[in-house]
Amino acid sequence: MKIHVYAGLKDYFQAEFELREEIANTDELRAVLVGINGNAGPLLSTCRFAVEEGFIDKNFKLNAHDTVVIIPPSSGG
Amino acid sequence: MTPSSSYPQAAEVSGASAGAPVHPVGDAAVNPAHPSDIPALSAEPLDVVGLLSRAHHPGAGAVVLFSGEVRDSNKGQAVLGLEYEAYGPLAEKLIGEILAEARGKWQLHIAVAQHRVGRVAVGDSAVVVITASAHRSEAYAANRYIIDRIKHEAPIWKCEHYADGTKEWGNNCNCHTVTGDIHKHIYETDPKHQP
Repeated sequence: MKIHVYAGLKDYFQAEFELREEIANTDELRAVLVGINGNAGPLLSTCRFAVEEGFIDKNFKLNAHDTVVIIPPSSGG
Repeated sequence: MTPSSSYPQAAEVSGASAGAPVHPVGDAAVNPAHPSDIPALSAEPLDVVGLLSRAHHPGAGAVVLFSGEVRDSNKGQAVLGLEYEAYGPLAEKLIGEILAEARGKWQLHIAVAQHRVGRVAVGDSAVVVITASAHRSEAYAANRYIIDRIKHEAPIWKCEHYADGTKEWGNNCNCHTVTGDIHKHIYETDPKHQP
């Protein structure tokens, strides 16, 4: 599974990386990422997730071929 | 002059994404150009005056322009400038949907939004929203609605660069602390939010 992160998340992770674990949903993905860098936990808990240019929720079934974009709270404008 | 001939050709509008064409916007029934053809993100300085000068429509008695500009201070610290980052495909898609929704809701003749990415200096425009409608109340309301939703929902982030050499990703939407849902926001335009 490919992971892309933006903005403040880049303080904790590379902008793009790959995970080999089996990850079924965003809750599991968040837990895996907290395992990699616990300091990212508070920010990760506020992030949205997207696959194929659309937001997904925790019920979305992830698969190994997905590219998951992790989206911190917006701060545009 | 026919309505369609009152609009410039795409190539005449400058200040949009580098190399990307900017198409005029207007009522689809009057002007064949679709608002989603406007690049919502620009790596180049926004041509605020240029966009406004072209935001005219024979059916519009009111044109409202909002320009969000970079302040020289934030939370008591001197700011040198901002750096904007975006998840481009989703930001473009979302802003297009917001504009389309606003056009329908307020019967707008014109709805334009462009947001900068990259470094933006103090005093420069980071985002422009232009709305045009028959009367001013709709243009004002729609403009505020559009910028409000962009700020809360579009995957765009600012990094403040301070005079002391530090930087900070900040001013994040924190609506989830009230709504309990990262997908639900509290908008200034929500009647329940009015003072």
